[in-house]
Amino acid sequence: MSLDYVKFSNGFEKFMPKEYRDMVEHGPFGKKVTVSQMGNFKEVLEEHPMCAGCAMTLFIRLAMIAFPNPEDTITVGTAGCGRLAISQAAIPFVYGNYGDQNGVASGLSRGLRLRFGDKPKDVVVMAGDGGTADIGFQQVLHSWFRKERFTTIMLDNEVYGNTGGQESGMTNRGAVLKMAPLGKKFEKMDMLQMAKVAGCAYVATVVPNNPRRVESVIKKAVLIAREVGSTYIQAYTSCNIEYAIPTDKVMEDAKAVENDRYQFTEYVSEEAKQYLTERYGYKEFLAKPAAPAAAIPGKA
Amino acid sequence: MYLVADISVEICAAKSCKLCTQYCPEANTIQYSDELGKDKGFKYGSAYVAVDRCKGCAQCVWVCDNMAKNYAIKMIMIDQLPKAALTENITYGEKSTTAVLASPAAG
Ligand SMILES: Cc1ncc(C[n+]2csc(CCOP(=O)(O)OP(=O)(O)O)c2C)c(N)n1
Ligand code: SF4
Ligand code: SF4
Ligand code: SF4
Repeated sequence: MSLDYVKFSNGFEKFMPKEYRDMVEHGPFGKKVTVSQMGNFKEVLEEHPMCAGCAMTLFIRLAMIAFPNPEDTITVGTAGCGRLAISQAAIPFVYGNYGDQNGVASGLSRGLRLRFGDKPKDVVVMAGDGGTADIGFQQVLHSWFRKERFTTIMLDNEVYGNTGGQESGMTNRGAVLKMAPLGKKFEKMDMLQMAKVAGCAYVATVVPNNPRRVESVIKKAVLIAREVGSTYIQAYTSCNIEYAIPTDKVMEDAKAVENDRYQFTEYVSEEAKQYLTERYGYKEFLAKPAAPAAAIPGKA
Repeated sequence: MYLVADISVEICAAKSCKLCTQYCPEANTIQYSDELGKDKGFKYGSAYVAVDRCKGCAQCVWVCDNMAKNYAIKMIMIDQLPKAALTENITYGEKSTTAVLASPAAG
């Protein structure tokens, strides 16, 4: 859990695979990398078995680039498609039982604070919509009410992708899925509103067809969770298998869904705004200077 | 047999927008090299694909055609690729990568 864990042990360098050597020498550790440098440095995410063209994969890839300190980050996941990739990265990954992830992350984040004091160690939960809004719902909400200081990211593909197409609380009303053949009867859950009611300091929605925006919301969410409180990102990450989206149309679908029900929204508490401005130099939350009074014609 | 993405250096290097790299779902797959195309007089380098990592989804084709409007990427059967990059032939530098493009069949 520091830059030491991405160094070679003495004498072992020449035995390590090329991908590992590239990561140690040209990975993002100890540097600030950005989305605009993609394709020019070794990413921490390695090969994994998620489907070709999966938007969730792209989102996970972008998220890992956006982590402010990847060498001091631990990801927590659970059953579902995302863990297949999240676990294949040079970032320690903890796998909770299905639905346990926010409970596990609560203990982990408290333990890290006891062990490392003020030195920030970032805990980031990434779980599916089923894992977050259905099976893990109770633990997710309670972690928010307790203001646990870590980030929760919902990978919302609006279905149980990993188990072949059951409806989740986040599926839209009327959607016909393999294991919801008559169409879902209830509305999509409003987890954003619940996050605000439960006291999250930062709540945002995002779609991966805007990589820089993904980068920006993840950075803010992780930084705010260091000191202020719980943060929540809800990302639309389509399942091209269960929704039969041709893989070369995944970004077209993302744009359509963004315009329909996934417009960018961002809620930042006043305390979080002040913290980002004072601690990390964010200018976007500075109070705007009052507009100068309009000159009145004829008066000097 | 399966399809992989192939980027035309001549067409890409004329624009070099680096958009496709940001939309490929797979990590370390569409790489960028400041060197590619220099021998043909292009200044700003080109994207290329590490074909051993490509899953053939063609999202990059959509991005280059519809967002960059540059039509530099085509899907090609792996055994029909004239030349391609493999992870083992990619070298990382300070700000960019270099790749030896070779016939994948030869290896
Ligand atoms: C306690 C428990 N119940 C059921 C399962 C089976 N299971 C594995 S993944 C999954 C659904 C995942 O859906 P979601 O959380 O939406 O993630 P996605 O696969 O769509 O990304 C289920 C029901 C399990 N692993 N553990
Ligand atoms: S089943 Fe769906 S969500 Fe899961 S990896 Fe495949 S496309 Fe992605
Ligand atoms: S989107 Fe097209 S033009 Fe832009 S870098 Fe990729 S291949 Fe080159
Ligand atoms: S086809 Fe898909 S996996 Fe292959 S390079 Fe293009 S976007 Fe990446």
